[in-house]
Amino acid sequence: MNLDQYVIAAIPILMLSSLVLLVGFGWRGTQIALSVQYLAVFWLVTLNWPIGMAAVKLVVGLMASAVLATAQSNAGENSPMPRSGQVFRAIAAVLIWIVVFSASPAVMVLTHIKQATSLGSLILMSMGLLQMGMNRQPARVVIGLMCFLAGFEILYAALESSVLVAGLLAAVNLSLSLVGAYLSASPGMEGDQ
Amino acid sequence: MNAPLIWIGLPAVFSIGLLFLMRRSGWATAVSAFVCLVLAILAWQVPIDQLIRIGPLSFKVTSEIVILGRQFILVDADRSFLVLVYLLGFFWFLGAWVARPGRLFWPVGLGMIALLVAAQAVEPFLFAALLIEVAVLLSIPMLNPPGHPVSQGTLRYLIFQTLALPFILLAGWIAGIIETNPNDPHLLIQAAVLFGLGFAFWLAVFPFNTWVPLLTGETHPYTSGFVLSFLPGVALFLTLGFLDSYSWLRDNPNLPTILQLVSTIMVVTGGIGAALQKELKRMFGYAVVFESGFSLLALGLRTSVGLQEFATSLIPRFFALLLFSFALSIFEQEGPAPTLENIRGSLRRLPFASCGLLVAYFSLAGLPLLAEFPIRQALIEAAAGQSLVILAWILGGSLALWGGGFRLLAIMASNQQPEWKIGEKAFPAVLLTLAMAGIVFIGLLPGVVLPGLLDLIKVYTHLK
Repeated sequence: MNLDQYVIAAIPILMLSSLVLLVGFGWRGTQIALSVQYLAVFWLVTLNWPIGMAAVKLVVGLMASAVLATAQSNAGENSPMPRSGQVFRAIAAVLIWIVVFSASPAVMVLTHIKQATSLGSLILMSMGLLQMGMNRQPARVVIGLMCFLAGFEILYAALESSVLVAGLLAAVNLSLSLVGAYLSASPGMEGDQ
Repeated sequence: MNAPLIWIGLPAVFSIGLLFLMRRSGWATAVSAFVCLVLAILAWQVPIDQLIRIGPLSFKVTSEIVILGRQFILVDADRSFLVLVYLLGFFWFLGAWVARPGRLFWPVGLGMIALLVAAQAVEPFLFAALLIEVAVLLSIPMLNPPGHPVSQGTLRYLIFQTLALPFILLAGWIAGIIETNPNDPHLLIQAAVLFGLGFAFWLAVFPFNTWVPLLTGETHPYTSGFVLSFLPGVALFLTLGFLDSYSWLRDNPNLPTILQLVSTIMVVTGGIGAALQKELKRMFGYAVVFESGFSLLALGLRTSVGLQEFATSLIPRFFALLLFSFALSIFEQEGPAPTLENIRGSLRRLPFASCGLLVAYFSLAGLPLLAEFPIRQALIEAAAGQSLVILAWILGGSLALWGGGFRLLAIMASNQQPEWKIGEKAFPAVLLTLAMAGIVFIGLLPGVVLPGLLDLIKVYTHLK
């Protein structure tokens, strides 16, 4: 079965998972959404890379989300977001999606990439920026950065297929999740004194 | 032997080793400072790719190493850069023993220096963006040590530096296309915009510099000073490398105007911001913005004078930042948070730290007889030759910074505490005195030290 012809289905998956990440449904929900998101990223990357190489993104993404989730489960749950905040974020996400669907054709012309790649990349990058702008918690900010980078990686995979770049980007993603875990745990760690 | 192994591999190995020594600050200081000093001396004395004879022994330090198909190249012309980086590393690590920036400073600091040198050495340059990103990620535990609440400045620093990565990588991809299709004006504009945004994030150029005062205000002054010295410093060298490599970027007619505009805004906002601050650590951040503005102005002038002044300003800039951070660290250790209110009369309480802070501040402001003055004078003259409007704004920003400095002096010299007392211990006082003497010496005799720095720009043969 050729999954390429159904790849556009990855777009609603990305929209839903990034919305869950933005709105926040506890750390279990976040980990599941992040994992599903990296699965969709993997699907989109297979359009341009061999499956073996694209699987690096999936494995690294799953590891990164596991690292972040472990640190958060140790740090304890944060107070849930009020319903009004969740609604506001969902509306902001819808507005962003409208902009993304309008801008996507221009990006396709510029980079000669497929529609699914362009949409997936822009959705994740913009939702990542939104996540970074709307949160002050370190782990949430790092998740925003990871979303942004995942979106960029979808786009960049269509343009460049260097193994070393893929490896270094994987290292950056993993390091980013470790930094997120460190920042979540650091206030409770033993200090210098 | 191999140059990248010596100047990248060796410090990287020592930085890992320092993880086991970091709880013993004396040992960590000794090892990291010694490694940097040895590497600086080696860079000064050992030629690359030339046969070296020591008695019956003869050997050659080769310039290149290949890792995963990519080259890391340090040629003979890079030796000045290596001397500069490792000599500064030596001074920073030495001062850390007194400044007490946290146990992670030594291993992470040395690891960062190794990564930044690797970023300068890697070919093709695209990989520099990834290596710098790894250095940024590595610096986070140093800026936000264990046991401290997470500062918003650190988070913003992480965000802005990470956002640079996609822009640089995409710009590199477009640059590759331009080589095969050099006459497409749309591609040239797209690449220039992407490069511009990438470097603006890296160098904390206006309007992406809001994190600088936030970072300095919330973190230990010594660690933020270290990061703000090395990261933008190496990013500026990479900027020069890109400009030198790509004629379409170098010859872009809008580039000087854009650089002059943003640098002027940085000088003005930095000067006014510093003058209006009540917290000394935030004042330091704005002074860094001001100083970065002048570095960019030097590049934006696109004259040989501008480029020379950029190179010669590096040592005064680094020394002023080091002294500023060091003096602020002493203030933090000896009393409450360094605010204008808390430092009232400090010249009589902490005379060395107070004088050090004032000398560093006024050197950054370009006060005559201090290290930055000859460079500022030449830059301002060159700017006057190109635009009187820019000159007026730059003078305005400089006057604002001077005003803030004189206010600082007046507060420090107030006689709230009538009796004189030397509050610093002997070793910090000696280090502060040596740093102040260095800045005054360069200011009095710029011709002795600064011309040697012109070697740093010899590699960039296409730039004026």
